[in-house]
Amino acid sequence: MNYLHFIWKNMVRNRRRTVLTILSIALSLFVLATLMTVLTELNREPEGEDAHLRLVVRRASSLGDRLPEAYGAKLARVPGVRTVTTLTWFGGIYIDEANFFASFACDPDTLLPMYPEVRIPPEQFKAFQKERTAAFAGRKLFERFKWRLGDRITLQGTIYPVDLEFVLRGIYTGTDETTFFFHRAYLEESLGRPGKVGTFWLKAASAADIPRIIDAVDTMFKNSDAETKTETERAFQLGFVSMMGNIKTLVAGISSVVVFTILLVTANTMAMSIRERAREIAILKTLGFGRRRLLAILMAESAAIALIGGALGTVGARLFYSVVDVWRYTQGMFPIFIVEPSTILLGLLLSVLIGLASAAFPAFRVSHLTIAEALRRVG
Amino acid sequence: MAIPLSYNLRNMRVRAFSTVMTTLSIGLVVAVFIGVMALARGLEEAFVATGVPLNLVVLRQGSQVETSSVVTRDSLQVIKYLPGVAVDSEGTPLVSPEVIVLLNLSKRSDGQGSNVMVRGVFEKGFGLRPQVRLVAGRLFRPGLREIIVGRSVAERFQNAGLGEMMRFGRSHWRVVGLFEAGRTAFDSEIWADASELGEDFDRPNYSSVLIRAENVPALRAMERRISDDRRLHLKALSELAYYAEQTKTAGPIKILGSFMAVMMAIGASFAAMNTMYASVARRSREIGVLRVLGFRSGSIMLSFLTESLLLGLAGGVVGCLLALPIHGLSTGTTNFRTFSDVSFAFRITPDLLLRGLAFSLVMGGLGGLLPARLASRQPMVDTLREG
Repeated sequence: MNYLHFIWKNMVRNRRRTVLTILSIALSLFVLATLMTVLTELNREPEGEDAHLRLVVRRASSLGDRLPEAYGAKLARVPGVRTVTTLTWFGGIYIDEANFFASFACDPDTLLPMYPEVRIPPEQFKAFQKERTAAFAGRKLFERFKWRLGDRITLQGTIYPVDLEFVLRGIYTGTDETTFFFHRAYLEESLGRPGKVGTFWLKAASAADIPRIIDAVDTMFKNSDAETKTETERAFQLGFVSMMGNIKTLVAGISSVVVFTILLVTANTMAMSIRERAREIAILKTLGFGRRRLLAILMAESAAIALIGGALGTVGARLFYSVVDVWRYTQGMFPIFIVEPSTILLGLLLSVLIGLASAAFPAFRVSHLTIAEALRRVG
Repeated sequence: MAIPLSYNLRNMRVRAFSTVMTTLSIGLVVAVFIGVMALARGLEEAFVATGVPLNLVVLRQGSQVETSSVVTRDSLQVIKYLPGVAVDSEGTPLVSPEVIVLLNLSKRSDGQGSNVMVRGVFEKGFGLRPQVRLVAGRLFRPGLREIIVGRSVAERFQNAGLGEMMRFGRSHWRVVGLFEAGRTAFDSEIWADASELGEDFDRPNYSSVLIRAENVPALRAMERRISDDRRLHLKALSELAYYAEQTKTAGPIKILGSFMAVMMAIGASFAAMNTMYASVARRSREIGVLRVLGFRSGSIMLSFLTESLLLGLAGGVVGCLLALPIHGLSTGTTNFRTFSDVSFAFRITPDLLLRGLAFSLVMGGLGGLLPARLASRQPMVDTLREG
């Protein structure tokens, strides 16, 4: 006998119930996939071919303080350092605060060797390099504000007491397409040349050089007016995540509640269907079906329902977030929000496990009923 | 005529397994909703509670927060003697120029760094902020490198406890006192003498100025006068408005929380629908009997809907009870506007519980509507003939 066919027939017997259960599980798995993706994105490793060789040098006291630009030349001479560039957070407002996006003053000549993941047509980058008030930005920013090359836009300074006007000269693509870059020389000039830099970025010649460089840089500026803190890009990024607070516990807490909810919903459905089928199960027993086989059939049905729901939820989440731009609704917190295949896989695995677990109790009970008892039962 | 409520209650008891499962799943959704909202509420309240109605914050034009603001000494002399500034018993204006510095400190929990706001104040700074009171140790002495620390900072950051030493700027600073500020944003700050702090960080100017106005009209007048004076390049806003702006920090949490809660709620109402459909299917004979006894289809619909609402409400109560223990749990995050750490506690308020209950009723209602309609439309004779 074809068991799969039998299981399928059982599933479609009460179609409404099966569909409702599947949808309910799908919604829960959607939420679960969202939560897992929040963690994935916060911990996303920096991309680019030698991103693991990048180091960030910032002021030890806090990121709010800046470093003297003269440090750049000294940093370039540290053994093992291949390239040096700077990024200075501008944090300007474009028309309204709600439009928030990341804006940096950069050094055009050394920018691209540091970030090979930033892809921009060479002629656009040349045009940007030549013009002091030029800027280039990610594709998503252009789409969001309907900008075109050649447009003039103004960013209102919040950290700096200047409003800057820019001409848009380039569109870059890459993983994070939400950042705005402009000349640091322009910012310096409008501030009266204070000679300050937000962060220096270094690229090490090899991974083995990293600990030595970190040590050499921080020792060099120890006890100076502007002490430094040097760390890998990854550590720098994890520092930001930690500043947001205990997100891991929050996400883990909510996720476990969601999993438990799915368990309850599936268990309820299975309990209801199995109770209604007690008589049939007795007949199957009379026909010689063993306990184990009955248990397996019932658990397979439950697992299949949960799996379909899980697939709908996780794949649905992937599609949903490929259309809906999370970046816009989270004040720029998630420039990228992709439900990774590994998340989908984990979601599916969880669904099957939940499906099996939730059928276990009611199925066990009914498979242990004596035939006479089961036949006697009234719906 | 309405079917008595006891009929519903008995039914729920007979099908205890389904009732418990459905109630719990609704309850968990409500608990998540209340929990996330309590997080956002706690964060918001830390800011909302901070402002004092007659205080006016003066910042550099274009800056939104104290951390990125500069007020020169010359400007201070101008605004200090504006009409409408309140004076103390000795006749000196209640004006507090302050130096704000951010400091990267390591958390006690994981050793990771977070930025803590250090506020340099003179004596007037205390007078203008009645919420701040010393709870241990003593105040810093002017002229010494001493600091007092908000209690939650002392608990959460390394070297911030009473009697400990911290190294920042160019000196070592001793923690000589702890203060509490009634769950306001000041609880997350470190305070020092303004001259000492300014000197140590090479700040010839102040970051912000806090002014006490004589009354509300004076506050409004000063607000306009300072913001409109083109020579000053300053802007003034009431302290209440300043901290109300900071509540936007809770925005993403609220969006994420509501989105999740709505998704999970739809899922839970599907589950409730399943339970109610099964309940209708198994009671078709009873429904027939009720109809024969003279109950109208409207009464039957109402009865099933009530039962579903009861399921929802029970879930809501369970959810509230499950969420309650997190009330008062303290945690911290970074206010990315000021780029500084803020401690706060989960706050579950009665209105939040009521919203949770309302939410559970919506789930029960949505889940029960279609099954109830089905129940009321079953033809009488068929239902009796069945089985």
